[in-house]
Amino acid sequence: MTWILPEGAWLQFEGLSSPVQVLRGLGGGTQGQVYEVAVGGDRLALKWYLPRCLQQDPHLEQRLLESIRATAPSRAFLWPIALLHPTPASRPLIRTTPAGFGYLMELRPAAFVGAVDHYGGRLAISLGHAVRACFFLAEAFHALHSKGLCYKDISLNNLFLESASGRILICDNDNVDVDGRDLGSVLGTPGFMAPEILMRRDRPGANSDLFSLAVLLFMLLTRHHPLRGQLELAIRCLDEPARRKLYGEDPLFIFDPEDPRNRPDPQEQGAALVTWPLYPAALQELFLQTFCAGMQHSDRRALTGQWMEALASTLDQRQTCPACGSEHFGAQASCWHCDQPLRPGDALSTARGRVQVCAGNELHAHHFDGLESPRLDQPLARVVAHPSDPTLLGLRNLSTEPWRASSAAGQQHAVAPGKTCNLAAFHQLFTPWGALRLEPASPDS
Amino acid sequence: MPGFPNVRLANRPLHFIYLCDCSGSMAAQGKMQALNQAIRQSLPGMARVARDNPEARVLVRAVAFADEAHWHIADPTPVEELQWRDLQASGCTAMGSALKLVTQQLHTPPMEERALPPVLVLISDGQPTDDFDAGLARLMQEPWAQKAVRLAIALGHDADLEVLQQFIGPASGQQGERSPRRPLQASNATSLAQYIQWASTAVVGAASMPASRVGVAGDAGNIPLPDLPPTLMDPMDDVGPMVW
Repeated sequence: MTWILPEGAWLQFEGLSSPVQVLRGLGGGTQGQVYEVAVGGDRLALKWYLPRCLQQDPHLEQRLLESIRATAPSRAFLWPIALLHPTPASRPLIRTTPAGFGYLMELRPAAFVGAVDHYGGRLAISLGHAVRACFFLAEAFHALHSKGLCYKDISLNNLFLESASGRILICDNDNVDVDGRDLGSVLGTPGFMAPEILMRRDRPGANSDLFSLAVLLFMLLTRHHPLRGQLELAIRCLDEPARRKLYGEDPLFIFDPEDPRNRPDPQEQGAALVTWPLYPAALQELFLQTFCAGMQHSDRRALTGQWMEALASTLDQRQTCPACGSEHFGAQASCWHCDQPLRPGDALSTARGRVQVCAGNELHAHHFDGLESPRLDQPLARVVAHPSDPTLLGLRNLSTEPWRASSAAGQQHAVAPGKTCNLAAFHQLFTPWGALRLEPASPDS
Repeated sequence: MPGFPNVRLANRPLHFIYLCDCSGSMAAQGKMQALNQAIRQSLPGMARVARDNPEARVLVRAVAFADEAHWHIADPTPVEELQWRDLQASGCTAMGSALKLVTQQLHTPPMEERALPPVLVLISDGQPTDDFDAGLARLMQEPWAQKAVRLAIALGHDADLEVLQQFIGPASGQQGERSPRRPLQASNATSLAQYIQWASTAVVGAASMPASRVGVAGDAGNIPLPDLPPTLMDPMDDVGPMVW
């Protein structure tokens, strides 16, 4: 790649007291190039725009300045930190005319890899962590939309995942705009764009974000595209007019209950037939809502808060197959991996929730308080296996407050922070957030 | 513990075919070597794009034409497995025969029923010495050739721009304006490498998985082509181009 900013150069920018050293080019596309730079003692990322991109998007600078002032909606966004215009002395070092401008953001840690790696089946990730990534994605859009902003161009290309935790990062935040203001040029990416945007009936905003978000969630959960079934197979050459038909003129969800024309072909498109049935009906329902009624009516799409609830609840139902250890969410009668019949297991029951007893599952404030919106980043308790006897499960106190456990005989035990309470031994557990009890699986189900 | 279900992702082939002029004039001023280098250097980037587009199987082939045309790489080869063998220059410019060879391969079968638009890149430094018109007419009867993204790179000043334009199809934009729908004029090894890299990465990306769209009227065609690489002020340009 030919780099616009010379590697190794020191550049001065307006309003920035310390010079910026260009360390290396990280990548580039049709919009611009991204560099690793040193500013003061910090390593940051610098995105530099190509002249043609600036020409096509006259309001880019204004949007960036507003985003910088508004600050990031959450930690999931690699948000612009500062806008950089070169000083007259540094301009000749920049290899385009005009020199243009760029913005600083944090570097993406190496553990975060492109979501396309997961979609392409090259990322080792558990089912549970894929669902967690989806929750974090919905949560990030919830924070963005709650600020009155919209993203406009979410796709597989600007999402990154950490497979060990399910955490996400969203990059390319330069199309972010105040919802409804339409101060930008981007329409979105075909395949992710809502039909009304692709067909130019409307301009991108929060409602079209909800469509793109659902497409992306579907792809992360199923490794298949929600509109690519038999109607796609009828297309010989998948080019622009074909995509327009598939995603815009006649978009049809592959699992539309009313219209089976676009069901996946078991030979060519088998992925979705394996993965879609894994998920609980409440989660499937949000896809049906968005891709059936919401296909033509942009105000009927599932909202970010609904996604967060359904995804958090899916995680509460996470269990493992006793025979092969595969994760499942209690939605199927037999294991997707080894076909072993599955029976529901014990669950922990709280005032507002029911969490399956399965190592790794967590309890959060929203399980106790109906006013709390779901979040996963501050667990109060986690189901863990005993270090020397993996069949013995306990509940670890991850909070800073002590709990009190009572046995069936009425004896009381303190469970200090960091300690684990044996789930086979207690009758009821009292926490500062409320009580919880073990609910054995009903024997006849 | 088994992780995420190991499901097979649905994908389509994307055939990428180089048509390389290997006539005797390519031996002059290191043009042949420059082309071999440019293609070889572009492969890692092309493999990266293929990796980032799991819905496409990028398969590469190459035709060499001189006194006659032959398949230099006959099997559609996944880009990550491709080893570029050097082309050798000698003879005339059988460009029409090269088009005939490609025509046979774009016919179904052997061409798949379902695919992404093929990408054909014609690179030449001279004028066809055989029946180019007949070759092009045959090619353009194939539906897959009509759907294909057809690009042409003119090496040096003796290339026949008119012939290359016929291969691409109707020109768009202003006369003299740089456009992917016109022959890309490479006057030195640097610009040749840039165009090869652009064709094998940005164009392959556009043909396999659509990129972000901005709300300005795009150019015609069944695949919106990405912007050409920007003209960068390369310090090398100041010392004078390596003229062919």
